[in-house]
Amino acid sequence: MISLWLETIVPEIALVLLGGVLVLLDAFAPRLRPAFAWITSAGVLMALVIRWSTAAPGPVWEGVLAVDDLGRFLDTYVLVACTLALLMADPYLSRTKARYGEYYGLLLWAAVGAMTMAKANHLLVVFVGLELLSIALYVLNAFHRESILSLEAGWKYLVVGAFSSAVFLFGAALLYGATGTLSLPHLASSPSANGTVAALAAALLASALAFKLALFPFHAWAPDVYQGSPTPVTAFLSVVPKGAALVVLARVVAYLNPQQLTPRWTAALAALAVGSMVLGNLAAIAQRDLKRMLAYSGIAHMGYALVGLVAFGADGVTGVLVYIAAYTFMNIAAFGAVSAFSESEEEPHLINDLAGQGWERPVVSFALSLSMFALAGIPPTVGFVGKFLVFRAAVNAEMVWLAVVGVLASLVSVFYYVRVVYYLYMKPLPKRKPAFSEPWAVKALSVVCVLAMLLLGVFPQALVRLSQQAAEFLGR
Amino acid sequence: MEFFSNLLNIICYLPLVGALFIIFFINKENTKAIKLWATLFAGADFLISLALWFRYDPNGEPFQLVYKKPWIPAIGAQYFFGVDGISVLLILLTTLLGFIAVYSSFTAITHREKEYYVWLLVLQTGMLGVFMALDFVLFYVFWEVMLVPMYFLIGVWGGPRKLYAAIKFFLYTLVGSVLMLVGILALYFYNSTGFALVGLPGLGNPATFDVTELMKVAPSMPLSLQKWIFLAFFVGFAIKVPMFPFHTWLPDAHVEAPTAGSVILAGVLLKMGTYGFLRFSLPLLPEASRWAVPWMVALAIIGIIYGALVAMAQQDMKKLVAYSSVSHLGFVMLGMFALNPQGLSGSLLQMINHGLSTGGLFLLVGIIYERRHTRGLAEFGGLAKVMPVYATLFMIITMASIGLPTLNGFVGELTILLGAFNRNPWWAVAAATGIVLGAAYMLWMYQRVFFGEVVHEENKNLADANLREQWTLIPLVLLCFWIGLYPKPFFKIMEPSIRRVVQVVDPQYFQAPAASLPKAPAQEGAAHGVAE
Repeated sequence: MISLWLETIVPEIALVLLGGVLVLLDAFAPRLRPAFAWITSAGVLMALVIRWSTAAPGPVWEGVLAVDDLGRFLDTYVLVACTLALLMADPYLSRTKARYGEYYGLLLWAAVGAMTMAKANHLLVVFVGLELLSIALYVLNAFHRESILSLEAGWKYLVVGAFSSAVFLFGAALLYGATGTLSLPHLASSPSANGTVAALAAALLASALAFKLALFPFHAWAPDVYQGSPTPVTAFLSVVPKGAALVVLARVVAYLNPQQLTPRWTAALAALAVGSMVLGNLAAIAQRDLKRMLAYSGIAHMGYALVGLVAFGADGVTGVLVYIAAYTFMNIAAFGAVSAFSESEEEPHLINDLAGQGWERPVVSFALSLSMFALAGIPPTVGFVGKFLVFRAAVNAEMVWLAVVGVLASLVSVFYYVRVVYYLYMKPLPKRKPAFSEPWAVKALSVVCVLAMLLLGVFPQALVRLSQQAAEFLGR
Repeated sequence: MEFFSNLLNIICYLPLVGALFIIFFINKENTKAIKLWATLFAGADFLISLALWFRYDPNGEPFQLVYKKPWIPAIGAQYFFGVDGISVLLILLTTLLGFIAVYSSFTAITHREKEYYVWLLVLQTGMLGVFMALDFVLFYVFWEVMLVPMYFLIGVWGGPRKLYAAIKFFLYTLVGSVLMLVGILALYFYNSTGFALVGLPGLGNPATFDVTELMKVAPSMPLSLQKWIFLAFFVGFAIKVPMFPFHTWLPDAHVEAPTAGSVILAGVLLKMGTYGFLRFSLPLLPEASRWAVPWMVALAIIGIIYGALVAMAQQDMKKLVAYSSVSHLGFVMLGMFALNPQGLSGSLLQMINHGLSTGGLFLLVGIIYERRHTRGLAEFGGLAKVMPVYATLFMIITMASIGLPTLNGFVGELTILLGAFNRNPWWAVAAATGIVLGAAYMLWMYQRVFFGEVVHEENKNLADANLREQWTLIPLVLLCFWIGLYPKPFFKIMEPSIRRVVQVVDPQYFQAPAASLPKAPAQEGAAHGVAE
């Protein structure tokens, strides 16, 4: 029996080991450093192939891990995001003279943490995944040891992350006290799962996840951390933990309240969503630093995704999954452009500095502009598909007001997204040209993201179908 | 047969193919080749679209040349193209103006030509898709796609206040279209699962965005819901038209856009608003449309008179033409909300007319702007002596815009007035004031620019319109005469489609002939009257 179970987590095991190998290689064979990115990418792609070539058996390991369609969807999501972040990272690291094996190792471990969270059916396993992800990210955030901003980002993320982990554990402990189990499927059948203590516990769990998602009012860390972290890390940080946390939240919510959310949950989650959409978009308007703007836009986007979760049901969860997939490509394209447009981490990434760059660097700028239109939800990009599905689910779940707030909030967002495009193409080049570089890897990343945003926007059926399959776990 | 089932796809995507071709195969420096290929693609698109004129059978199926494939089955969205008499004419107008826009830009655009022609061609695909789409999601996608190229055309190649104009245009239209999307979703849920919010169970049909399917069920919707959806659509379309008081983006966008941008904006983009009313609001929400008639007519008449008065006060030629659009589009809306065949067909014909004459006026203003880099009326005078060919062309287009008999504007306005009179004589009286004012500001402009002595030294040696410039205008002039002298083919193409709209929106109209004019449809009478 044990052998069968090990088979189900081969990708995770392989990636953890590969991470260790990379760290050791850095120490014993530093000549290989230029190849680290290739080795890592190959490993990630292998893991992806293995995940898809083996069956998804459902609950394994005594039910604590659910290797189901949802898990598989999230694994794909994490690994694709990880590959894209790697593509961006290598030229960046070699330019900033920080191309160390630890970077790749930590990235892989963080990815495994997110994959574990996505499949966890037991709160302690969620916690283990969460910690693996977070600890790796604490280090990655502070990867530029000489940079005050990077260290500040690392510290902030550490303090907030430790705090949210404690809150999560406290919630889990309360839930255990109330129901006598931490296994999500068992919680569903526990008679006291709807009692007051359980509700308090659920609120704590949701708060801890809201920290990870940077939802209002748990968002304050995001702008500083986004700004200070090395840009490829920010790209990773802005998508992978969020997808994982949303899926955990979906699973917790689904098991605590099978099929339908109770009004209590709906109100709390809707408040988080509305607050995030409104605050994120309004604050983003005032930003002059591109990375901070993207941080606030990220807060708003998690608000939109949460709308799908509030609507719940198969439609809502499908919307959430499509949304996070869309968000990955849009956000990574944007951060890829940021990483190409910044010479040194010490300098702020001012939107002003983009002036006239559109004509100088056509590929990266086009990707950045398209990602701005996609984030704004303009068709035929995938951003529109995501927003459309999420708001449609909200209308369908009789929460028209929530959809209207979302639509109005996204209208506000158009202003600051389009402003980036306006700087890129419609402002003249400044006299003192910033010395930007444009490595081929970032160009390749841009092309991949552009194609993904457009193709998934015009032909969304495959993505929607996959998300629907993944959302079927609710029907059990 | 394979060719014709794909005809709409070919027409719609040929400009996009052209844009991709130019991006990937033509060097940025080689501006001659860029212009040549852009012209070829736009020209070929126009020639192919002419097939619609011959292929579309007015007495056949309501929607023809249909191309229908599943697109996003998960939500019931289809890839559904089809045309009726209304869209055929607008598609032809679009391909013609698209070609002229490309052809007229050769000397006007002197930097970043490659990107300019690429955006122009992408815009063309977006506009054509709007007129062909019969699925709401598809329609919405094309409707929004157009925004981006237009934003770039204004923002990069526009005049001094281009940035303000571009962002204003973008935000205004987006606000409208997003509200329209909410209306679309409301229709969609009414047809399928319904809303508990307003106590409506929904019809329980399979979820679909198919316009033809929704047309079967939507008219029986309760009035309260119809009103809300009508309002949502209204905001989206009225901003695009633009109806008073949503018109404030228009003068900015028109004045700052490059000439070709203005031509497209006035000629085609504004028609999308009126097309939206005609295609969606009237047949889908007939009861709410009837309910809205007094409001719509009031706004239309205010638009006619207000636009004309403001135009009269302008010192900038382009601004004057822009405000004249507000007035003319007021006519279109008035005819439409007369809700009878004369009004509707006059309204549709006037959409075409406005595209031809206002497009022509923007081209003419562009020609003089290229020479003098000013459009102030006070800067000119006596040009008739210096530029005789230009003055003649300008005269013809001006007369077309005013509505001189034998030219197209007359037929359109007369038919609209007939329709309006038929509903309520006072509407026609109010609108007729607009015609008088229109003649006043146009002729006044003509007088100030072309007559009198040449007072400015710079104007003494202006070159007359060259051959290329003349050829951008000659097709428009010919069409103006054709529609003015023999509009019957146009009415014939649109008639059955218009009749179907009237049957839904005012079923009593055909049952009580006493209320309408005698048996022969009035627009035919008008047409013959002019022809003879």
